[in-house]
Amino acid sequence: MALLEVHDLVFLFPRAKTAVLDGVSLSVERGERVAILAPNAGGKTTLARWLAGLLPDGVLKAERGHVSMDGKDWTEWHIAERSAAIQYVGQVPSQQMTGCAFTVFEEIAFGPCNLALPEAEIRARVDEAMTVCNLRHLVDRDPFTLSGGEQQRLSIAAALAMKPRVLVLDEPTSNLDPESRDDLLAQLELLPGELTIVVLEVALRPSLALADRFLLLDGGRIAADGSALDVLTHPRCIETLGMTAITEAAWRIQGAGGWESGRPLPLTLDDALQTLKVPDAVR
Amino acid sequence: MASGSKQEAGKQSLLFTPGESLLHKANPLTSLVIMLWMISAAAVLPTAGTAILVLAAITVSMATGVGKRSVKRLLLTMTPIGVALIVVHGLLIERPDETNIGFIAVSPDGLDYALKVFMRVAAMLMATLLFVTTTHPSEMLKALDQRGVPPGVGYLVASPLLLIEPFSDRAKAIRDAQRVRGLDLTGSWKARITALPVLLMPLITLALSDLDQRASILSGRAFRAYPRRTVINAPHDSTFQVWFRRILLAIAILQLGIPLLWRF
Amino acid sequence: MLSVDDVTFSYVAGAPVLADIDFKVAAGEVVAIVGRNGAGKSTLLRLLNGLYQPETGAIIVAGNATSDTPVHVLARSIGTVFQAPEQQIFNPRVRDEIAFGPKQLGLTGAALEARVAEVLERIGLLAEADAHPLDIDQSARRMVAIGSVLAMQPPILLLDEAQRGLDKAAINRLSTIIETEKARGTAVILVCHDMDFVARQADRVLGLAGGRLAADLPTEAFFTDAELTASIGVEVPDVLALSAALGLPPALTPAAFAEAFMAREQA
Repeated sequence: MALLEVHDLVFLFPRAKTAVLDGVSLSVERGERVAILAPNAGGKTTLARWLAGLLPDGVLKAERGHVSMDGKDWTEWHIAERSAAIQYVGQVPSQQMTGCAFTVFEEIAFGPCNLALPEAEIRARVDEAMTVCNLRHLVDRDPFTLSGGEQQRLSIAAALAMKPRVLVLDEPTSNLDPESRDDLLAQLELLPGELTIVVLEVALRPSLALADRFLLLDGGRIAADGSALDVLTHPRCIETLGMTAITEAAWRIQGAGGWESGRPLPLTLDDALQTLKVPDAVR
Repeated sequence: MASGSKQEAGKQSLLFTPGESLLHKANPLTSLVIMLWMISAAAVLPTAGTAILVLAAITVSMATGVGKRSVKRLLLTMTPIGVALIVVHGLLIERPDETNIGFIAVSPDGLDYALKVFMRVAAMLMATLLFVTTTHPSEMLKALDQRGVPPGVGYLVASPLLLIEPFSDRAKAIRDAQRVRGLDLTGSWKARITALPVLLMPLITLALSDLDQRASILSGRAFRAYPRRTVINAPHDSTFQVWFRRILLAIAILQLGIPLLWRF
Repeated sequence: MLSVDDVTFSYVAGAPVLADIDFKVAAGEVVAIVGRNGAGKSTLLRLLNGLYQPETGAIIVAGNATSDTPVHVLARSIGTVFQAPEQQIFNPRVRDEIAFGPKQLGLTGAALEARVAEVLERIGLLAEADAHPLDIDQSARRMVAIGSVLAMQPPILLLDEAQRGLDKAAINRLSTIIETEKARGTAVILVCHDMDFVARQADRVLGLAGGRLAADLPTEAFFTDAELTASIGVEVPDVLALSAALGLPPALTPAAFAEAFMAREQA
């Protein structure tokens, strides 16, 4: 049984003519690091909210299909049970703040307090989350006065304090400058291996830093599922999301006859340094 | 390491001033009841009584180290109210006891009445100031949580205090965005009024979108999963304070009730 | 078109956030302003469109000094697209949002309609003309914000992180818009963190560091000065790093890299 499973999900927003999710099926195993890539308006946020059990929410319902964790449909989960199983972090930093906390400490403790855990346990969790997300020096700060990058780290810390088994990240770095983005990515890389992470992205570079399995959401369905190379060089992915600058350079070289057609295209600078340096070594 | 119990680096917009006084250390509910008692006393005492109440409150606020901030607020709020009261009741409203001083007709009765209202409002304001300068809203929330007040009520208390700053920042950003699009905010009143929807629409739609997002985040963090939540660093309470509150609350209610019954 | 003469600015007296800023932007030029967070980029942007006034020095926008021209009048000469499009959208239809600016300029009737139609096409939202701006995707909303400024045809265009979060189709559309504006003689100023985008679009780069203008160089000269880019704190485009590692002549774009690579292979 897969950890997280989406089965034939069809979903339309009220008043919309076309389905934003039009038969999505996918499954995620424990400990996987999955990137779901989609163009703008491709249904990323909607799918992320379904995955995290935030939909259906009483108003919005699926046309067809369902999402389950541990084989149990999200609708059958108690809110406390669900929030200890999966956590969601969205893309606009200030909108991830609960608006219930006067300090960073309180923001992180908010969820565990709602779970009515013992005080010592909550303190230990907050402490750990602050360490992992490098927030110790900000413990008494007002969450709304933090920078975007700090707020994103805080929302991830608040999510981690719930001790979830799955973390769903919806374009977590799209509103950050490069320095904050790299900080956040580095912090995410340090998370324990048993934590399952699903990241939804339009940008290729941050997803390459996070994931080892890639899915392409195209026209409301999963159009490709595989390794970074499989999916990032998939024709539909290239058409809708483009290539990394490195891949594009190699692809142009291939077009000019300077690259054997069977040879895999590099995706990142590191890839390119390795593959392109090989001929030098041979010479 | 501090553990979120002190809010030295808290919000600028809060009037709370950190301190070690009895009022700071008192359970927030005790401070709340003291405030309620003062307000009820201000509602029924004669002018001399309310004046003493104001002076007493100022003395207490000085002693607790929040005097400067409170008195500043008091003056800022009460000065225009005082001027308005004197003008309206002393000069404008016609009364039988008017005496002419130079060009103007002054009513001593009116001035008396103005003073009465002024002192009453000042005493109520001082009571509130004493409470908000010595009680951090976060401690108040904890006290409510501790008493088993539903988390939704706590949210209603906390979120306006927390969200007012981001909200006004955003209002400024919208204003700037519209001005650089050619919206004239320097012109006539008519022009400014027509500009209002241009400024308000984004503010409202964004607030609605925030609400939607926030509902999602709260649900994700198990908000209201259980009727009671854990309180960290619960404010100290004692049997003495519990009885003190009960008695003071009873006095406050009697103070208000007896004059009402008396009049019947 | 735009001239910034020896400008200093501070929020708190004695602690300037920008000092000795001096540069010009000509018609038809695409200039990128880059630098770390807190280097003064957003402050400079707000000085250029008149939201802030320089403490010393002067900023002349299409012949008007920002110090004595009201912001809303200056808006005819310098169009600004801020990062959050939601903060400026207020009309119930995309079409009305685009028409708002030109209407303020006095455009009516067929001329107005033609202007709106042209812009809708350029931003790729003809089909969504009657949609509510909040019912469309965030990147499309960014396009609406860009369109609402394009519709005023300002001689200077100021884009703040306009490329952020856009997919391939939207980036291509934005590139086309910038190129068309350049060809029409508009001065385009990009405040931008994405160095791939800067390398592809900009003619010149202004590098801010610690409130000072640390660089004012043609794009290629800027990016190939490794010491300079490091001190300003910007990452160089991956292809440029790759060309340096392979000992190829510097290439700012994938196309330039492929060309240089093939030239060496064939040599």
